[in-house]
Amino acid sequence: MKILYFLSLFGFFIASVAFTADNIPSAVWVSSDKAQLKTDLKASSPTIAELPKGTRLSVLAFEKKWYQVGLSNGRTGWIYRGKVSEAEVEKTEKAKEGGSIGGLLGELSGSSIRADNTDSSRSIRGLSPEAAEYAAQKGTPQVYRSELDKVIARKVSPEEIDRFLQQGKIGEYQE
Amino acid sequence: MNEKQKTCHDTDMDRTRRNLLKLAGPFALLLACPAYALDLFKILDPKGGSKDIQRAKNIFEGVGSIAASATDLDYKSEFAIGESLALEGFQRYGLPAKNQTVQKYVNTIGNAVVRNSMRSDIPYYFVVVENNIYNAFACPGGIIFVSSALLKSMNNEAELACVLAHEVAHVGHKHALQSIKRAKFFEGVGKISTANMQGEKGKKFQSMIGDLQSVLFDQGLDKDMEFEADLSGMEIAYQTGYNPEGFIQVLDMLKQKEKTAVKKGSWFSTHPPLSERIVKCDQVMGKYPDAASLAVVSKRFIEYRKLL
Repeated sequence: MKILYFLSLFGFFIASVAFTADNIPSAVWVSSDKAQLKTDLKASSPTIAELPKGTRLSVLAFEKKWYQVGLSNGRTGWIYRGKVSEAEVEKTEKAKEGGSIGGLLGELSGSSIRADNTDSSRSIRGLSPEAAEYAAQKGTPQVYRSELDKVIARKVSPEEIDRFLQQGKIGEYQE
Repeated sequence: MNEKQKTCHDTDMDRTRRNLLKLAGPFALLLACPAYALDLFKILDPKGGSKDIQRAKNIFEGVGSIAASATDLDYKSEFAIGESLALEGFQRYGLPAKNQTVQKYVNTIGNAVVRNSMRSDIPYYFVVVENNIYNAFACPGGIIFVSSALLKSMNNEAELACVLAHEVAHVGHKHALQSIKRAKFFEGVGKISTANMQGEKGKKFQSMIGDLQSVLFDQGLDKDMEFEADLSGMEIAYQTGYNPEGFIQVLDMLKQKEKTAVKKGSWFSTHPPLSERIVKCDQVMGKYPDAASLAVVSKRFIEYRKLL
């Protein structure tokens, strides 16, 4: 009798652990740049939208490192686990401007790339006047200034990063 | 005004005068150092509910355009500090490795992890410098250095991604800026421009960059900042899709080299003891049950490593 009692307790324990493991959050927030909502749970499937950081998504299911999420307009899609967080993420200016998911979809579908501070900062080339002033005051040899100039001029495009991740089968490109 | 009223009035006046005299000393002191004053107001009235304290705070804020601390600086000013420090970094740790393919490779991994960092809205620049010391550090504003020795001692891309993510986390948390938040240069300065880098101010700016060098190149950041960057970096690498255990592998590798390696100006002298960090990082691996299934990417890494 005692054995049966302990067996049932053990069974209850296992069941509760399994339930916890399957327990998925009710909502997640976009926590990564270039987070794409896909029609299916693979990176090669068509993109529905590129969602800004801080966008709240309702979770419908979780499978193979992908969340199936629902949007406020009733549409559903899949997003890679690494692109979202279970903790609330502060909205970017773009997410705040976009308002509803419907609005975001209208704005972001297709070849949308955010033209935010990042992109405008990335267009800056060469040393800032302040760093040039510091170098002049310190008498920093020209070779160091030129090398820093080259470092700052070096750019990596979002497309190059995606291609690189795809070739390495990293993140959402993992098979 | 009768005699009694006059006496009362005089007593009130005396009390007011005495109170003003009591406040004059601290007020003068705070005026001399407004950044401290603003911090003091934050402590006295953290929610900003007191009208009197808010009024006093406004007076202090009026003493020039003041950044309450270095961490409140705008990005452009932060980047100017980072660039100035980077110029010193090249002089201390050597020039960038000549191979542009390797530089591009490291930049691509770095920018891939940045996407999943807490501060992905600024540009980051990653540079490999020719040096035999095991080191990596982050300048404010996102210029990140990694030594060729550290890169050559790694075995896969996950390890490199974790180290870069650790440095990206330092920039995200503005750790380096916190170490200079009391710098004299910031007194009366809200934004850094060439106009406020002349004469005495210019000397104070240079002194501030000197202090930053001491912190980042010699004594190291606060221990808790390093632990914070360790854990944030592992999280960033995991979100990107790399096995976060790569970071522990780098720490293990450094521990093996610790006895024979040059300590001055390296990760050994500027970071907390490796065994302590390894324990802390091991503890969080439970958060990543599927870590072993994530990307490690050895083959591609070794091909690029050969180019150094």
